[in-house]
Amino acid sequence: MGLTDADQRRAQQIIDRYPYPKSAVLPLLHLAQDRDGWVSPEAMEQIAELLGLTPALVLGTCSFYTMFKREPAGALVVSVCTNLSCMVNGGFDLFDQLRSRYQESSDVSVEEVECIAHCDHAPAFQVNYDFHGPADAHGAADVIEQYLDGRLAARTISGTARQEVPR
Amino acid sequence: MTTNAVPMSQWPSEHRYTIPVAPGPETVTVTIDGRAAQIPRGELLIKAAQDHGTYIPRFCWHERLKPVGMCRMCLVEIEGMRGLQISCATPVADGMVVHTTSDAVTTAQDGILEFLLINHPLDCPVCDRGGECPLQDQTLAFGPGESRFVEEKRHFEKPVPISDLVMLDRERCIQCGRCTRFADEVAGDPLIDFGGRGGSTEVITYLDEPFHSSFSGNTVQICPVGALTARPYRFRARPWDLASTETSCGACAVACRGSLESTSNRLVRLLGVDSEPVNQGWLCDKGRYGLDWVHSDARLRQPMVRRAGELVESSWPDALDAAAAAIRNTLDTHGPNGIAVLGGSRGVNEDAYLWARLAKGVLGTDHVDAQLGDGLPADVVLGMPRATIPDLDRAKAIVLLAPDLKEELPVLYLRVRRAAHDLGVPLVDVAVRDHGLTPYATAVLRHAPGDPGAAAGVVADALVGRPGRTKVGKAIVDATDGRDGPVVVILGRTSVAEHPDAIVHAASRLTGLPQVRFLSALANPNVHGALDLGLTPGFLPGRVSLDAGRDHFTKAWGAVPDAVGRDAAGILRAAATGEIAALVLVGCDPLAECPDRNLARAALEQADTVIAVSAFMDTAAFGATVVLPPTVWGEQSATTTNLEGRVVRLGRRVTPDGSTLESWRIPAELAARLGSDFDLETVDEVQDEIARVAPAFAGVDASLLRRARDGVVLPLADHADEVTFGRAGAGPGPSWEPILPVPEVVGDDDRSPSTSASDSPSAAVPAPTPPVPLHRWDAPPDAPSVPPLDAYALRLVAGHALYGADAIVAATPALASLTHEPTLGLNARDRDRLGVHDGDRVRITTARGSVDLAVRTDAQTPPGTAWIVANAAGPGAPDLIDLTSPVTELRVETIS
Amino acid sequence: MGRLSGFRVTITQVFRPRVTEKFPQEKRPKPPRFHGRHVLNRYEDGMEKCIGCELCAGVCPAQCIYVRGADNLTDAPVSPGERYGFVYEINYLRCIHCDLCVEACPTEAITETKLFEFSFARRQDAIYTKDELLVDDEGRARRQPWELWLGGEDDETSAWMRATSSSGNAAYENRVAWSGELGFGVREPERGQGGDPGALPAPDQGGVS
Repeated sequence: MGLTDADQRRAQQIIDRYPYPKSAVLPLLHLAQDRDGWVSPEAMEQIAELLGLTPALVLGTCSFYTMFKREPAGALVVSVCTNLSCMVNGGFDLFDQLRSRYQESSDVSVEEVECIAHCDHAPAFQVNYDFHGPADAHGAADVIEQYLDGRLAARTISGTARQEVPR
Repeated sequence: MTTNAVPMSQWPSEHRYTIPVAPGPETVTVTIDGRAAQIPRGELLIKAAQDHGTYIPRFCWHERLKPVGMCRMCLVEIEGMRGLQISCATPVADGMVVHTTSDAVTTAQDGILEFLLINHPLDCPVCDRGGECPLQDQTLAFGPGESRFVEEKRHFEKPVPISDLVMLDRERCIQCGRCTRFADEVAGDPLIDFGGRGGSTEVITYLDEPFHSSFSGNTVQICPVGALTARPYRFRARPWDLASTETSCGACAVACRGSLESTSNRLVRLLGVDSEPVNQGWLCDKGRYGLDWVHSDARLRQPMVRRAGELVESSWPDALDAAAAAIRNTLDTHGPNGIAVLGGSRGVNEDAYLWARLAKGVLGTDHVDAQLGDGLPADVVLGMPRATIPDLDRAKAIVLLAPDLKEELPVLYLRVRRAAHDLGVPLVDVAVRDHGLTPYATAVLRHAPGDPGAAAGVVADALVGRPGRTKVGKAIVDATDGRDGPVVVILGRTSVAEHPDAIVHAASRLTGLPQVRFLSALANPNVHGALDLGLTPGFLPGRVSLDAGRDHFTKAWGAVPDAVGRDAAGILRAAATGEIAALVLVGCDPLAECPDRNLARAALEQADTVIAVSAFMDTAAFGATVVLPPTVWGEQSATTTNLEGRVVRLGRRVTPDGSTLESWRIPAELAARLGSDFDLETVDEVQDEIARVAPAFAGVDASLLRRARDGVVLPLADHADEVTFGRAGAGPGPSWEPILPVPEVVGDDDRSPSTSASDSPSAAVPAPTPPVPLHRWDAPPDAPSVPPLDAYALRLVAGHALYGADAIVAATPALASLTHEPTLGLNARDRDRLGVHDGDRVRITTARGSVDLAVRTDAQTPPGTAWIVANAAGPGAPDLIDLTSPVTELRVETIS
Repeated sequence: MGRLSGFRVTITQVFRPRVTEKFPQEKRPKPPRFHGRHVLNRYEDGMEKCIGCELCAGVCPAQCIYVRGADNLTDAPVSPGERYGFVYEINYLRCIHCDLCVEACPTEAITETKLFEFSFARRQDAIYTKDELLVDDEGRARRQPWELWLGGEDDETSAWMRATSSSGNAAYENRVAWSGELGFGVREPERGQGGDPGALPAPDQGGVS
């Protein structure tokens, strides 16, 4: 868990980009999340140490953003929009069906999000922040399966880069 | 756009952030609600309005914190600006016309309050804040009176403890951020922060890391709702039950101003009062919550006399007779040199003076010492050029030759931190190990224990522009280049495991600097008062040496000792060998306080007579011949002297239980029984006598002390222009900002201050010249020889922890749980070299003794040294230290 | 008439209805807003209504109430919420039965009964402690040895004894807006005093309770 030595070097590069170390909190949280699939307490403590902050400040920042997972999540985060356009086009159905389908899955976490600005393709959803839609539950599951078996390359859980989906 | 940046203490300074303020004259004219006022350029509108009699409601803004504009309560209408502006983040500009009560503003205030109350639970009847709550008050004064919100309020589990002292009720929180900002900006312990967002924003601590800050109580005081409550005060009283007296805190030598509150004759609360030169409204948790010891069951309530080997309760006349008889007996058999008086550094000025007068004027002994080998030579403390706390803010540089201020003098730490961190004063840290102020230091110099001289030499050179070849030297030169002002050296006993000569020698190397001033960092509450008033060998009250003051005091008292007496170490040694037969212990326990416990034990065992003036049955009182219980802080009105030499009043708030005698009456009664009636009836008369007799106190009489708002800095002749009269301005009240009109500042318990025309703030104070020239410290001692570091031994560093084994902590349940077992703090390198692990018990042996302690890895302690808290309960550092040796070398062996 | 004329008043009174009563065997019904001694009520589940907020003590013009709050134990709470009345004492040598405490109470914990006949032989008896003030497990006032009660007097002991109407109108009839209490459940609202009941506003339009 937490940051490896290579990550530490990368972290130092990130910190050096900013006039104040504190500014690097968000990129370092992304780094940790990409590494572990979630932001673990160890990672927050390491980040605090690197930046000369208290862990409470790192947690405060981290907890502001729902895109930082503070509990272990699947490698694929499926975000289903249930805002207006998607709702009238069946967003809630899509969400409910995907959620029950992947309830037991440790690879896929399904979450509900507010408008992701993809209204023209309602009901829309994201898989690790890549846009898809419109889709019914079957079509969406098909897309997710493609990510799972590697036919589609997914971004990291923070959406920052492409990654190999771990099996 | 032509703007220039005006850096203000109020603006976030962490990143040297400044807000552009239009250039112009230093004073601008602003019209607030039709009244024109002259206001310094760059001042915040909300503050300017408050200073000129217009109260703008607010929650998040606090005079001592930087503005954030989070609550939106302080909206005002400014002509020519679109929409409403938050006055807490708007600097005044010339010609500004401001309306604070227009329709638009009142509508906005209604809306904000209705909005803030949406999620506020309105459980005021059970809330500790109910009755003194800014949200209640301002809702009544500015609110809409009703709410349109009918939905379910948010719910959290409540209350949750976020530390041993503070409870958090997240439902009541209005997210003003005062607590989080205080912890970050002022205390430098950002262990709380906002978590989540929107409607679920809450104050958080990190997982299981509680809000362990020495200043956490201040967040409770400044919380504008009841979201943060103090566990010791929880449900103890309602605000309307409380009676208040303004006083000074008695926990350390800073003497923070506070409002002491009681209900049913029980002290329940101490709130910080904003005294600009001293504490600026803040208190440390030890001072704030160290109240219950006053009512502890362990307090002695009757004098005790040893009869047939047993201490038995007695009446005051009998106990005083017995004490006087014992003293007379010793005088007859051993002469004046057979008696010594130890202690007084935890008392008040009046009893310090009278003990000095009793010892030196009546008994004729100069074997008197307020410090028990844990302080600095009186010659230095009384004679060095003294700085005041406000000097820190405008210093050219601050040099630390002191123990960890965060542990020993917490509120002084806040002031130094503010100077270094917010006001940009260069801070030079000369110490053995890292401490609370190290992160704010401009230059850090580390030295071996007992050898600070060389480091001080580097600092001395650098401060006159000679950087030398060291990096720190260059850093100091760079930081101080072009800065004016005094160099303030904070001088204290860095470690009780080394001889004070070392630090005095280091200080002497700085005396040559231009405008150098020293701020004493001795921690005992009234150690400075005790030294000033002659409870030290070779000195007489009022900072005059025995020789210089001989004529003056012979006239005043009738007699003074012939020769300079022994200091505490000498007294204890003489008592151990039987040369001194009688020891009078004035509120001190040598077994707990003297760094050399073996010596103290030998002295107490050998002394024929021990007269203990003690509020508790401590180990010294246990073996005493006579025990005389005095009144303590909160039970008597008196004065104390803080580390600047500022004399401030202590208020009386509760009537003592049982039969205790006002502490200053004990020496007076003894003197009367020994044939020398001081003829003093009231504490005012004692103060007047001090003002008349003690040269440094010239002019500082009861009447001046009663009227001076922030006390009087000694000597008055040098500080007369700093004395202020009248009530404090419309700043933050004890616990909340007042709705106008400003409530009375907590009054006097026995007489209300006489306010006369001469008490206008600008009135000149008559400052008589002291009748005897005050003592000056010259003749720096020679550098003590420090034995070279032994590769196999570790050098001991022993300092005090905030929550030590003293009576305030031990007899206060809320604080007693915060103490730690003493441990041996080792650098990871030494730990590995010794082959021990955290928690292992090891035997520590010095030339003086040996104790078993657990090992703890301590990153602050450098290799080659060992750290042990000196004031922890049980066996520890005092068993290892020899008062005479320059440093304490110790060896560590594992025990199986 | 002669000598009898001097007895005219006496004789006419003899035939008038009797105005006195055989007190204490008989007692007049008390007015609905009569102020007697206090009780501390409990909720239907037996929890105490008093939360120890001290508002009664704060408002008391005679300063006869002494209250101290304490933390409720989480496993054995005395009252709902965080705080309960740990000490509750009323000194009846001082109490003037003004009922401001009843008005101030945010939980209707303290109310006044119609019981007023008590005389003490000892001063400390005049200080009613919490044990004496608190209603028993049936929701009834606890009878003290020095109190003179007749049957049924202790029925009239609860929140609806609030003395003044919110509107200040003596004819006002309250509405039930407080929680039920031990022994009596939710009581009927108090009847108005005077005026035509038909002319009163409907209960649900009443002011705040």
